[in-house]
Amino acid sequence: MVNIKDAALAYKTLNGIICVYKPSCVSVRQVQNTILTHLCRDLNSLPDRQLEKRVEIIGATNEPMQVKMVPNYADHPLACGPRYIKEDFRCSWATHLGLFSSGVLLIGINDGTKLTYQINTARPTRAFKVHGQLGKATDTYFWNGRTMERASYNHVTREKLDRVVAHIQAAHQKTMFELSGLHMESQTAYDLASQGLIRPANSKLPIIYGVKCVHFDSPNFTLEIQSVNEYDKYLWTLVHDLGIQLKTAAHCTGLQCVRQGRFNLELALLRKHWQLNHILNNMDQCRQLLEENENLLKPKSAHLTV
Amino acid sequence: MNAIKLLVQRRSYPLIFNRTATTKKKIHDPSEEDRLPIFQYPISKSSDRRVYVWGLAETGALGIHMPRGKKKGKKAYRNNFSYAWHPIRSSFCERFDVTNIACGYGFTVAAVKTKEQHKVFGTGINTDSQIGYHAPRMGHPLEMLVSPAPIFIPYASLETKITGLAAGRAHTLILTDNEGVFTLGNNAYGQCGRKINPQEEYKGSMVSHNIKRLGKENIKSVCCGQDHSLFITESGKVYACGWGADGQTGLGIYENQGFPARVKGDITSENIVKVASTADCVLALSDRGELFGWGNSEYGQVPMNSKQQQVNMSYALLSFTKGLGKIVDIAAGGSFCLICNDQGDVFVWGFGLLGLGPNVQHTSKPTQIPAPLFGRNEFNPECMVTKVACGIGHFSSDN
Repeated sequence: MVNIKDAALAYKTLNGIICVYKPSCVSVRQVQNTILTHLCRDLNSLPDRQLEKRVEIIGATNEPMQVKMVPNYADHPLACGPRYIKEDFRCSWATHLGLFSSGVLLIGINDGTKLTYQINTARPTRAFKVHGQLGKATDTYFWNGRTMERASYNHVTREKLDRVVAHIQAAHQKTMFELSGLHMESQTAYDLASQGLIRPANSKLPIIYGVKCVHFDSPNFTLEIQSVNEYDKYLWTLVHDLGIQLKTAAHCTGLQCVRQGRFNLELALLRKHWQLNHILNNMDQCRQLLEENENLLKPKSAHLTV
Repeated sequence: MNAIKLLVQRRSYPLIFNRTATTKKKIHDPSEEDRLPIFQYPISKSSDRRVYVWGLAETGALGIHMPRGKKKGKKAYRNNFSYAWHPIRSSFCERFDVTNIACGYGFTVAAVKTKEQHKVFGTGINTDSQIGYHAPRMGHPLEMLVSPAPIFIPYASLETKITGLAAGRAHTLILTDNEGVFTLGNNAYGQCGRKINPQEEYKGSMVSHNIKRLGKENIKSVCCGQDHSLFITESGKVYACGWGADGQTGLGIYENQGFPARVKGDITSENIVKVASTADCVLALSDRGELFGWGNSEYGQVPMNSKQQQVNMSYALLSFTKGLGKIVDIAAGGSFCLICNDQGDVFVWGFGLLGLGPNVQHTSKPTQIPAPLFGRNEFNPECMVTKVACGIGHFSSDN
């Protein structure tokens, strides 16, 4: 843990990305706001710099005058307000997480905003745990929507679910080749395909690389989805489609991002740890991770790496 | 003027009071959910199956042309198209409990699980009576069927079950569980396993030949090449008959063979579990996962030390497939061969579109087709190919 003595020094080191755990029902903007407020609070509570001095020249003008340095009260926090305010920070997130999703969120602070932009354009894969429930379909495809339909689900077994899930995954492999931007019958496309998975050329369409059912306890189930370019509503509709293919109805009950690129849940800061010393520590870990894996920021080939 | 102002004020007041306090959507009634009926979607039974067909539909081999009432000419049939570009469902195979399907050159035969007389149905080209005798008028047999029709086979008992089907260029083999093999169609090279008669007329023929046993053993499996037939008996012995110009019968001769005879060479001491052939090259797989081959080797499918291109006896391909592990499935195409091992890797050799990219036309050694093409990647490392199959110019795999 870093031992911080000076607020000015601490402010200067706050350049980089941090990995936080976004709770559900809290928007990304709110998370950003909270973190910045906490940073300001912690920086302001640190020992402050000396007050600026004001030069005071006193005495009669027709005889030698006296030059004196007096504290400048215009610089006093009580006069000019707190030293650090939210507007002093630049802040951005790498990839958006919906209001009801929780999980790993990358936030760039000050110069880290450049890094978040680079991570966003590098399009790392994200792993999601999607919790769903059979037997009910809602108008928003999520648990908070209005129930539109109820259906029986006693016939659904783990085997049937696995079969449908494998089918969804196979169907998405084709989009992967289409979005690579290469002619399907060329040697280049073949060479790329024989290496493994291909990253998309743009961020227009969601691609799913892997779907796996990790937990099934009828009517609840959990899928693990590895994807690029996805968004929360897309994953909700995926659960809904799964329900239709299983001859029942389904809705999503929760969405958790467990990994983005190499940033996983162990690295993510919980809400209780959104404090200056933890943030500085986390920033250091993230910097190390980015140095070890250069392709997180600048991928060298179209081949997909985790 | 004041009166007008008052009027305006009075009008605007109700507008202000009517505005709702919140812009949020109306919260729905939670008890509404309980009033909804629980819907039961129709569920397929575990015995239900779907059969999809695709490819050239012009010969009627897909069996999807359905008669449409009394209409004449072009509109007489539903699905009256020449190619099926994508798999479409075959209603025939869903109406009957189809257990086996075999595709020949322009025709298809399907076996149905039933205790009635008509156990095998055929559709497509029927120029050599390979799918039986079908004549709407006496003496005018049909040369093409556009929808499946039953094939008459003289079974000894109606309890007999069809366990295997194979179809070549113009002949069909029907394997039963206790009555041996029935053969239909062209016998110009002896592929039906009976005496070759050069004067025989195959169009409109009602002949079906029955091979009960081979070497006092029951037949376990059948396979058809282009114009030859292969039989595996219960103890793993391979018999062959038919066209032998490329040595594809493996009998040590290049002549045609009328009666099935035992394949010579290295496989005589082996227990063969599968033979594969679609054109004129034959691969055989023993129970120990070893590979044998004979027949046409123009593209190096069965490599020989000499420049021999017609191999007329079976040879073990042990040194050729060394280091590939135990082989679990084989397939032989027109100019290439395909094997799959117990690790789920697929190897190919020969000539043509081999799945090694558009630039690779020929490979003489077994070359692995990159596993990511079959879906093995870092998210599914355990994805394995377990079965391979091929036609003359295409192949497929089953994960």
